[in-house]
Amino acid sequence: MGGLSYFTARHFLLAERETAAQTQAFANALVVLKELAGGNTHKSTAYYSSLGISESSISAQLRSEVLRSGGAATQTYVSGPYGQPQIVVGVPIPSVHAAYFEVFSLSDLGHTLRVLGITLVGTGVVTTILGIALGRFASRRSLRPLAGVSRAAVAIAGGRLDTRLEPDAADPDLEGLTGSFNTMVDQLQARIEREARFNSDVSHELRSPLTTLSASLEVLEADRFNLPPRAQRALQLLGDDLRRFQRMVGDLLEMSRADAGSVDVFLEEVNVGELVQRAVEAGMRSLGNGADVPPVVISPDVQSVHVEVDKRRFERVMANLLDNAANYGGGATAISVSTRSPTRSEESAVSSDGGGGTGKVDKVDKVDRIDRVGPDHDGAPKVVEIAVEDGGPGISDAERIKVFDRFYRGSASGRRGTGTGSGLGLALVAEHVRLMHGETWVESAHSGGARFVVTLPVLEGDEGPVW
Amino acid sequence: MSGRILVVEDDERIRSSMRLALEGEGYDVKDVASGEEALDLFAEAPTDVALIDIMLPGMDGFECCRALRRQSAVPIIIVTARADTHDVVAGLEAGADDYVTKPFVAKELAARIRALLRRARPTEEDPGALAFGNLQLLPDQGVLRQADGTEVHCTRTEFRLLCELAASPNKVLSREQLLDRVWGYDYFGDGRLVDVHIRRLRTKVEIDPALPQHILTVRGMGYKLVP
Repeated sequence: MGGLSYFTARHFLLAERETAAQTQAFANALVVLKELAGGNTHKSTAYYSSLGISESSISAQLRSEVLRSGGAATQTYVSGPYGQPQIVVGVPIPSVHAAYFEVFSLSDLGHTLRVLGITLVGTGVVTTILGIALGRFASRRSLRPLAGVSRAAVAIAGGRLDTRLEPDAADPDLEGLTGSFNTMVDQLQARIEREARFNSDVSHELRSPLTTLSASLEVLEADRFNLPPRAQRALQLLGDDLRRFQRMVGDLLEMSRADAGSVDVFLEEVNVGELVQRAVEAGMRSLGNGADVPPVVISPDVQSVHVEVDKRRFERVMANLLDNAANYGGGATAISVSTRSPTRSEESAVSSDGGGGTGKVDKVDKVDRIDRVGPDHDGAPKVVEIAVEDGGPGISDAERIKVFDRFYRGSASGRRGTGTGSGLGLALVAEHVRLMHGETWVESAHSGGARFVVTLPVLEGDEGPVW
Repeated sequence: MSGRILVVEDDERIRSSMRLALEGEGYDVKDVASGEEALDLFAEAPTDVALIDIMLPGMDGFECCRALRRQSAVPIIIVTARADTHDVVAGLEAGADDYVTKPFVAKELAARIRALLRRARPTEEDPGALAFGNLQLLPDQGVLRQADGTEVHCTRTEFRLLCELAASPNKVLSREQLLDRVWGYDYFGDGRLVDVHIRRLRTKVEIDPALPQHILTVRGMGYKLVP
């Protein structure tokens, strides 16, 4: 824009000067002609009116053109002795076989143009800077509501369903966006709440008949020795599958509650060694297969380590891992508890959704966890690792993520045998552990069997009791 | 062990099966279908333990619980469909001593009832009078009273909990220990039982329950009583 203004102005000023110069040159040429006609003929002599001008000031091309054509010619921007732009006007005077040249200095015009140029460049620079600043300000201002939308969306994705956008009174243009966003969230919330309510209703509806069934069954079982052998056998089958059905309903409801985000986690600070020991004992009891309690190896560095867990959930985690080992790995061979730095998680921790098995780590939870855990002596956060090893054939790389999928039975499918799993056991393990800010994965044990690993963040102040 | 049990449950089939199962465990069972009926029956028939379902038509389980608590220190067990909801805490705050989740195992329910009945009776050992602040605790009589002789009313579970804490002053008792000694639970008993009962106790024995002077929480460890 500045350049265009400059060139227009320059062109206009030059044209004006050229016209003026030509007019003046013709007038001066007439005067010279009269003088020459008066008899003062000096052939081949050039007269100069200024010291700064010589024959060389006028280009040969211009001279020959003027003499040959017999018409006036103008040449602009001949560089003068001091590098000044000039206009040279040549007027032929045929009567005396001469030509009149007049040189007009454009130094004043050059100055004007230079000032004009500087001004224009300056204005351009200032305008550009102002424009950038204004643009940034305006875009930030106009994008601020979008940043708000983005924050709200993140909050909602994180489970805070009561998040809404504040209507911006200052900008009525955004009313539409705010309105439709909030409507969307309203509907989403209503839908999730409806689902949670449905789950709760289903929970109640399923549990009622199950309660009747199990209470009645217990009455019969207490009396079973008065029944004929065939009826006793039937009662046995009924009892086994009723308990399996109960577990399945329980697992399904647990899972659907987790999906609906309607879980309460009751976290307690406990000594991790004692927790694992107790959970393994309880888990083996609930297996009820009479197998020996596998050894629990607690490394010395976790003797006084405390973790924050929901004990009920942790008990389920251990029970499900032991159940899994019993069904698919010939029983757990060892359980170990130790500390480690939480690096392994980056590669293969089970995803937070528990069922997707995409192998991602929930970023929000990760950050949350890092905030909560205590530093070790190097200042890096520590986690405690609880590993359950079995003596089975192990799990192939391809299956390591999938085993945490719901109802995944893998290569072992078809030979369910006496296994009474709901098919949700490992998926729930991952879910429970996630709710306790930990991670779950499976790797190979040295013995070749599977090694299921659960990590939990170490609580700060794990030196022991604080009085 | 015999005991008179009041079952409040609106589902007729569950009610019948509970009656059969509990009778099989040796209890004397009376059952009603609503909270209103429960209050009527409670007024005329002696009851050792009340089992109250939370989801009841009309007066709900919480309300029934509160109404019973206003007139009696009878041990109450609430029956809920879910263990991980606020229902449990709300029920405990309404005055329940314990809870079971549906579907429950009758043997387990019987064990819970036994635990409540056991401690509803005076303790075998006689630790004599325990005192802290301006309060006096008489375990053998089941009485908590102020220095001026006014009795402070608390449920039997609250009383038993206070006795356990007062019997070893300044010593931290973990939730697990308290669950075991007061409720008869193992390590994986619900710590919320302890927390809610401690909260309730504080409103009775502390001048400012928000800034307790006697029943103190020891972070990550449990509770202790400071005389």
